[in-house]
This record gives sequence, structure tokens and C-alpha cells, in this order.
Amino acid sequence: MERILTRNVGKEGSRTLAVYEAGGGYQALRKALSSMTPDAVTEEVKKSGLRGRGGAGFPTGLKWSFMPKEVDPKRPHYFLINADESEPGTFKDRLLMEEDPHLVLEGSLLGGYAIRASVVYIYIRGEFVRGAEILERAIAEAYAKGYAGRNILGSGWSCEVVVHRGAGAYICGEETALMSSLEGNRGYPRLKPPFPAASGVWGCPTTINNVETVANAPFILERGADWYLTVGKAPKNTGPKLYCLSGHVKRPGVYEAPMGLPLHELIYELGGGMLRDDRALKAVIPGGSSVPVLRADECEVDLDFDSLAAKGTMLGSAGLMVMDESVCMVAAMARIAHFYHHESCGQCTPCREGCGWLERVLARIEDGRGVPQDLDLLLSVSNNIIGNTICALGDAAAMPAISFVTKFRDEFQYHIDHKSCPTGTLAGRA
Amino acid sequence: MLGPEFEKKIDAIVAKYPQPKAALLPVLWEVQKAQGHIDFASEQWVAKRLDVAPSHVHGCVTFYTMYKQKPSGTYHIQVCTTLSCMLRGSDELMKHLEAKLRIRPGQTTPDGRFSLARVECLGSCGTAPMFQLNDDFQEDLTLEKVDRLLESLP
Amino acid sequence: MPKVTIDGQELEVPAGTTILQACQQRGREIPHYCYHDGLSIAGNCRMCLVEVEKQPKLVIGCYTPVAPGMIVHTESGKVKAARAAMMEFFLINHPLDCPICDQAGECRLQEYAVEHGDGRSRYTEPKLALSKAVDIGAHVMLDQERCIQCSRCIRFCDEVTKTGELAFFERGERSQIGIFPGKRLDNPYSGNVVDLCPVGALTLKEFRFATRVWYVKNTPTVCAGCARGCNVVVGVGQQQQLMTTRGQQDDRAKRIVPRVNADVNGWWICDEGRLSYLKEQQAVRLLSPRVGVGEAAYDDAVKSAAGKLQIAGRNGSLGAILSPRLVAEDVFAWKTALAAFGGALIGVRSILSGEDDELLVRRDKGANAKGALWILGEGATERRVLDAVASGKVKTVLVAGDTLDAADTAALEQASQGTVEVVFAGPFVSGAAANAAVAIPSASWSEADGTYVNFEGRAQRVRRCHLPLGEARPGWRIAADLLEAAGIAAPAWGASDDVLRDLGKAVREFQGITGESMGLLGVPAPTPAGA
Repeated sequence: MERILTRNVGKEGSRTLAVYEAGGGYQALRKALSSMTPDAVTEEVKKSGLRGRGGAGFPTGLKWSFMPKEVDPKRPHYFLINADESEPGTFKDRLLMEEDPHLVLEGSLLGGYAIRASVVYIYIRGEFVRGAEILERAIAEAYAKGYAGRNILGSGWSCEVVVHRGAGAYICGEETALMSSLEGNRGYPRLKPPFPAASGVWGCPTTINNVETVANAPFILERGADWYLTVGKAPKNTGPKLYCLSGHVKRPGVYEAPMGLPLHELIYELGGGMLRDDRALKAVIPGGSSVPVLRADECEVDLDFDSLAAKGTMLGSAGLMVMDESVCMVAAMARIAHFYHHESCGQCTPCREGCGWLERVLARIEDGRGVPQDLDLLLSVSNNIIGNTICALGDAAAMPAISFVTKFRDEFQYHIDHKSCPTGTLAGRA
Repeated sequence: MLGPEFEKKIDAIVAKYPQPKAALLPVLWEVQKAQGHIDFASEQWVAKRLDVAPSHVHGCVTFYTMYKQKPSGTYHIQVCTTLSCMLRGSDELMKHLEAKLRIRPGQTTPDGRFSLARVECLGSCGTAPMFQLNDDFQEDLTLEKVDRLLESLP
Repeated sequence: MPKVTIDGQELEVPAGTTILQACQQRGREIPHYCYHDGLSIAGNCRMCLVEVEKQPKLVIGCYTPVAPGMIVHTESGKVKAARAAMMEFFLINHPLDCPICDQAGECRLQEYAVEHGDGRSRYTEPKLALSKAVDIGAHVMLDQERCIQCSRCIRFCDEVTKTGELAFFERGERSQIGIFPGKRLDNPYSGNVVDLCPVGALTLKEFRFATRVWYVKNTPTVCAGCARGCNVVVGVGQQQQLMTTRGQQDDRAKRIVPRVNADVNGWWICDEGRLSYLKEQQAVRLLSPRVGVGEAAYDDAVKSAAGKLQIAGRNGSLGAILSPRLVAEDVFAWKTALAAFGGALIGVRSILSGEDDELLVRRDKGANAKGALWILGEGATERRVLDAVASGKVKTVLVAGDTLDAADTAALEQASQGTVEVVFAGPFVSGAAANAAVAIPSASWSEADGTYVNFEGRAQRVRRCHLPLGEARPGWRIAADLLEAAGIAAPAWGASDDVLRDLGKAVREFQGITGESMGLLGVPAPTPAGA
């Protein structure tokens, strides 16, 4: 299987322009700038079927096509790269940025060209200090070679590239919160509409894409949309995909495979199987902690947008967290709830008040202080959050809670009835 | 504040954005880098420099978890305890650190050498358990590895 | 104009109208906390969630514009369930300290809990403890536990006063309203955040624990603080000594809050106006009439005053200085009386202080300066009276009304060098009253009905909020009594409306203006003569 997005990962000097160029790097940008209009680039990406890799899976070319075709000089276009990788279980963008920063840059510039941007801001989570440094070095190299800045490759198109570091807030991965944060505010999501293409950062037309998403662009442009459609499951689940495997497997890590990799293949072949051979698979969270969990018996599934949707869950950010039979599902869910409680921005009522409530009830159940009505309470509070919030964080906190309680109700009930844990491994809460 | 070199750096940051306010996060980073933490006086200085209200600056400093309002230890250890790390033993790792350093998360050792924090997912789930030691990720940790690492620190 | 259907009723509203506004126009408001007509839309409270057909999720009414053919349900099961859910969320960390909360009785949390809540909470965890009774400014106290984080106060300081004192600190569940350490909420409009706060998180120091709101009698009136004429409601305390008392007695004003008038003050008032009742209450009142230095019966004082005015009027040595805070009725009544006494040189004081600001405050503190000008004409300045006093032409001066100014008519004394005879009719013992030959107490601003004309020429109704103190009477009645005492036929005025009717006949600008026509919002300036 050909590695596409990760072809340079592990290569010596993979971060340098020299190695990147030696592997054909920046040819796509050259091609686009010398022979294609921005709209043609967008068209090609549209044709490729590329869908956003950040979590929602929105068609990338379509998103680009929402941008105005003319630039009003008073309202420059901005291209934002969402490198705020924070969804628990997800660590693929970091790999790309740290191992192949020029790929991220070339993709960003291609997107920037397609949407007629004058600045690309790469919003990278604050904790990725080294990643930001690596990107900064790559950007300096790119500027020096004329791949960024004024009159790029003599095309007449100018575009600055700026790395902007976050400072510790999961919510800033939400695109409108990211814009608020970039503007120098608390990372509060905004009411929609307007959507970013109409009025984004500083009120200007804006497109936001995930790091992995733009990393696909150079390949689509270089090899063509028709080639891209042969990777993965055309028409709607195309291209290579980075899967983040963590938890109870022998070889956790980022694995690249064509979209639609069977989950079993990821765990048992690429991941080397369960961490302990004597412990069976219990559950998998397939798309980062925000998505509904899959029980072991639901794990006959291909890892792509539509196959997982058919199973009532989501590909999300493709952060797969594998849990073996030793895991207490109450403890796992309590830990997830702790995360959302910690990360809720606090702007809107249901999420601000509901996330803490969920965590407290779960912690109680885990500690053996649950009462019979708690399970229905968890479901009810979750349902009172879902759909009633400004952004998707509320849903992200509530959906796993519903799936855990529903799919592992017996185990939750056991905690309440017996004031102890059936796994016998009651993971002490930190 | 912090001298002309610092101010020059701030000017360069502000120039990267269409509005000075947008430079808030990067400017706060510079302040923290220079002083180790961000105090009220710095917040006021930043507010003035970027033409925003001091309350706005403080609102941002307290919103983002990485800005420190008080000094931390020379070695700031942030242990990821989110699900993937928990599955791989982050709770034991945290307990080990607490016992070894004799502090609880949120505290600093009396000699000011170490501070400990419980943090949420650091995006290093494939190399769990892990912590961030100052700016660097320490990954695939075992208790022995932690002991060796802490002992090796100057 | 898009046609929408709300709860089965079809209505046409202007394009761009939100669902919430459309519901307001329909007269059935949907519950909301964060939305405020005078502020940007935050959409954070989620209380105004409504159901729109063909939309997968409930939408917030405050932000969603109506679209042609839209079918909205504001009372469906889904909507009611969402409201109950929001109420439950709001209250889980709320201290429920209503018994000691000043907001109780006019609190949206209480009201919506009754209307939309479930009446129970399933929350059994400990509530968050935050700071209470935080002193954040000259007039405002903050209780962080009661706050529901609607952000109205923050938006007010960001958008209206543009002073940005308040912000959210911390995040998530621990988010709280805060002010930068060492800073104060001290802008001249700070009190508005208390009115904006839908709960008891922000309270006004001057009103805290002063009374319970259900003992407050509210009267819509117009502020006398400056020439803007902000529409306000004066809340007068009701003495409540026995639990069984039914009809209560007026106490004094306990607070002033703004009343919405888009053409005058929008939603706001300044702090000075808000606290003007204190200034009035702190000033020493003239409670009974005086002749010379001794107290006198009203009739005796009136008789004495009438004699002095009549003599001076006949001699052509009568002058009058009127306060620009007098209601138009009083100005007209004094003008009528002085004419009947033989004529007088009349001037209106001019009270200027500070500068016009960008929002409401006017430099001209004469709440009825324009009305007085309409009645007395352009040249009627205090200066011309003082000059005539100085030259010896005017020897007797009627001083009427109050200026709440310590230097009140100090210039008069200077001009007269102690030789002028003063007849005083006003509410306070200050300036001219002290040396008056006769002093008769008149009603203060909050004690009599009347009309103010603001700097833009808008005539607005001033209302009696409580009974006059002591023997104070409305100025127009004193003027009429003086005429009667002098044996001159007085106009048949039984109420201030009668004076206004005569004023309308006599002065073109007041033509057609009645209490009824002014209503709650006043009538705009008449078109200039000849226009």
C-alpha cells in the first residue's frame, strides 16, 4: 500500500525543503500557479471528493467554492488552517506538521490560492511548541525560495503565511471559536449564519480547513482528481486517510490507509492486535471522544464517513480509542465527561451547566454513590444539551454519554446496585 | 515594559495582523516567555499596547489554560490524563509523580524546582502515557523512564 | 414584508425582523435573558428556543430572522420541554437566595421558573461557590453566584459606554463576570447594568436592602436632571409597618429607573439622573411658610407676599427669577399672576454644568429651559433681572422653584447688595429662600404633575410620584392663591391640566398639548411658526 500523506514521515531531513522538493514537493503549487485559475483548483478538489478531515467531513471543494470569486480590497480573503488538534484520541495533524511541514504548507498555499487569500493563518494548539517551531522554520525556507510571500513563483499572487499559537482551549478547534481566538478574544463560538465564507475572521470572507485536509491538496493537484478517486471508496469516501490508533493495542500510532480501512484490519494487523492477548476487545471509540462508542460486536465496520454513520457513529477525526475488557465503562465515560466539563467555554447555558452536571453524576456512579434514577438522569440531561447549544461541544459531551449509558447500561446499573465495579479494576480517579 | 528589544518584538507581532487586538495571544506568549508568568501589571501593559480593555486581557488570560498567572516550577510537568492516556496508565503515572515530588497537581515543590499539573488531551495518544515537560513532550513513559528522566535534569 | 405563521396566527412583519421581535409585535413575548433591544445579539442564554417547521433543531428566536412562509411554534411540546430544561440548567448552580435578594419580585429567574420551569430540580450535587457582595463600583454590587452569564452588562460597557470595564473571567462552569483588579465600574452610566441584569447578580448600592420591590409604587415620569428629559419610573416606598396594613402610606422615592423611549433616552439613564432623588432628599426642605424669620400660616404668608408683589408691580419695580426646573404650568401661572400684579421683568435661570456627552447627558441642567423660553420668550434671562436689580430699577424679586444649586441666586444678593426684597416660592431652604421676606413652600419635582419641554422641544409629562412634604403646594396653585389674596380674579384652575389648557391657548407651541396627548412618551416639538 502506497503511503501518500505520510510518504516523507521517517525520512531523514523530512522537515527540510530540500528533502521535500526532492520528493516532488511544491510541484503542485507550481502547476496550479502557472497553469490553473483559482476556480480550476477548486474544481479539481471538488471533483476529487475530498471531505474535511477535521471531523465534520464537509466536502472541501464545495467549501472553497462558497468564497466570493472577486476580492473586495476592503475585505481580503483569509485561509485559516485548523491545527488546533485537540480531540481526545487524535494526533495525526501533529505528525504531519512535525514530520512534513512543507506538505502542510504547500497544501495551505494551494487552498489559499484557490480561495484568493492574502494571508494564511495556521492556528496551532499552544501545546505544540515544537510543531510551531518546525512550521516557522519551514515557512522561512518557503519564503526564501519564493513559495510564500510577495508574488509567489512570479504568478502575481501574494500570500503571507503566519503561525498563530493557541494557548490551551479545546474549543478553539471549533471553526468560529478559532476565529474569535485569532481575533484576540476568548474562544467563544459564534452564532451561524453568517458562515465564514460570507463573514469570517475580521468580518472578511474566510475558509477554514484542517491540516490533514489541506495536506491532500498537493496530491490531488499533482496527480489529478481522477487518480484521487481511485483511492478509497468513491464517490463519497475518497482518498488516503490518517487513522490515529490509541488505547489497548500493541502498536498504537498514526496509520495511513485508503479511506474505508476495515476497523479490524487497523486493530489486528496495523496495530498488532490487542495489547494483551488474554484480554478481549470491549469497545472502540472510532472518531475521537466526541462520537458514540462502538461495542465489540459492532466493530465489523469500515472506517469511512458513511460506513460509520450507518453504525450510528462518526469517523470524526479518526481518533480510534481501543478498550479491552478490563476497562470500566463508567470510569471511561467519567473521564470523557471530565474533559468536556473542563473544556466547555461556558458561553451558552446547556453546555456550561450540563457538562459539569454529567461529570458529577458519572463520578458519583463510579465512586459507588449512584442512585437508581441516575441513568435516566444522565440520558435526560444529555438530551437537554443536544441540539440546544451554540456549537457542537455540547453534543460532543452528550452523545458519548448517551451511547455509553445505552450500550453498557448493565455495567452502569451494576455500579449503582452493587456499589462496585464489575471489571474489578475500578480505575482510581485522579 | 521589558525593554526596547521586547517592544520591537511586539511591534513585529502586531504587524502580522490587520488589527492589534489579534496579536493578543502571541503577545501574551512573549510576556510569559520573558517573565515566566503573566501578572496584572503585564496585563495592563498589553491592554494599553493593543488598545483593549484590561478586563478583556484578563478574561483571555484566564480563559486559556496555558497562561500562567503565577510562576510555576523550573520544570513544569503537565500530565495528560484523558482517556487514551488513562487507558495506558496515566493515573499511575500521576500518582507516582505525586509521591516522588510530594506535591499534588496544581502545586510546586518548596524548592521551586517542579510543578505538577493535570491536563487534558495533549494530542499524543499514540505514545501514551505521556507528559509535557516544559515545552517538550515526554512520550511512551514508564515509571522507570520517568525516574531516569527526572534524575537526569540539571 | 414576509408573512409568517406564529402559533397558528399569520402575520406580516418587516424583512429582517427576528422571530423574537415578531412575537413581541404580536404581543406575546417569548422568554429570554440575554437578548436586549439595545444591545448586540449574544444568543447565549438559549431561553428563546422555538420550533420552526422543517428545521431539524430548535432555533433561537432572538437571532433567527423570519422568512416568508416560515411556520413557528412557540408553545409546542418540544419548545416547552427545552424551556423547562434551560430553567433547570440555570438553577442548578443558582443559590436560590430569593428571600434576601433585592431582585426578588422582579426577577426573570423567578418569573420564568414559575412560567416555564418544572418546579423541581434533579440536581443533587453541591452548588458552585463564588464571590458574593463584590463591590465593583460606586453604585454597583456584584453577586457572582446569582449571575446567569447572559453578558448583558458586559455588552453594555462594550457597546454603549464603550468603557469595557466588565468581562468574563475563567471559563466553562466557573466563568464569572469580573472587573480588572484595581479598576472600578465608574462610568457615568454604570447603574444601567443593574436594570439590564435580569437576575439579582448586579444590584444598586443605593437600593440594596432599601425595601422590597413589591412595596414600591411606580410612577412613570420624566427626569429633571438635565434638558434631555429622560423617561424614567420613580419608585416610591410604601411604609409597611403592620403585616395587616392594606392601604399603605407613601414613603419617599427609593429609586429611579429608565423607561424606554426611543426618541429621547432609548433604554438608558445616567447615574446622576438615577440618583437625583437622593440629592433632593438630602437638600433641606422648606416645610412651612415663613414671613421674615418666623413661621407663618399659609394664608398669612400668601397675603403678605401678594401685598409685596402687588405694590412692586404697580410701581414697576417687580422682577422674577424662575427656575428652569419649574414645570411649564408653573411658569405660565407665575407669568399670568405677575402680569395681573402689574407686570414684572421675568428671567429664567440658566444652569449650565459640564459638557454634553455622546450619550444622554446635557450641559444644560434646565429640564424645562426650553418650555420656559417658549412661554416667556427669548430675552427672558436671569441676567436682565439681575442687571435691573443692580441698577435699582427692580426692588422686589419673586424667586420661584428650585435649582438644587448651593449658589442658588447668590448672584442676586450680589446684584442687590442686600437691598432687594425677595418673595420666595420653592421647595428648598437655599440661597434666596434664606433671606426672603416671605417664603412659601412649593412642591418638588416628584410631588406635582406638570409638563417639561426637553432641549429638542419634546413636551413630556412629569407626574406626581408621592404627596408633597409639609405644606408644599404646586407652584401654579400658589400663584393662583396669591392673586386671590390680592383680590384679583384668579383663573379657575383645579388641576395642572387646567393650567395646561390655558397655556395651550396662550402659547402657540403648547397648542393642543394635553396630558392625554403626551401620554407616556410625550409629543415631539411643533413645527416652527410659518414653516
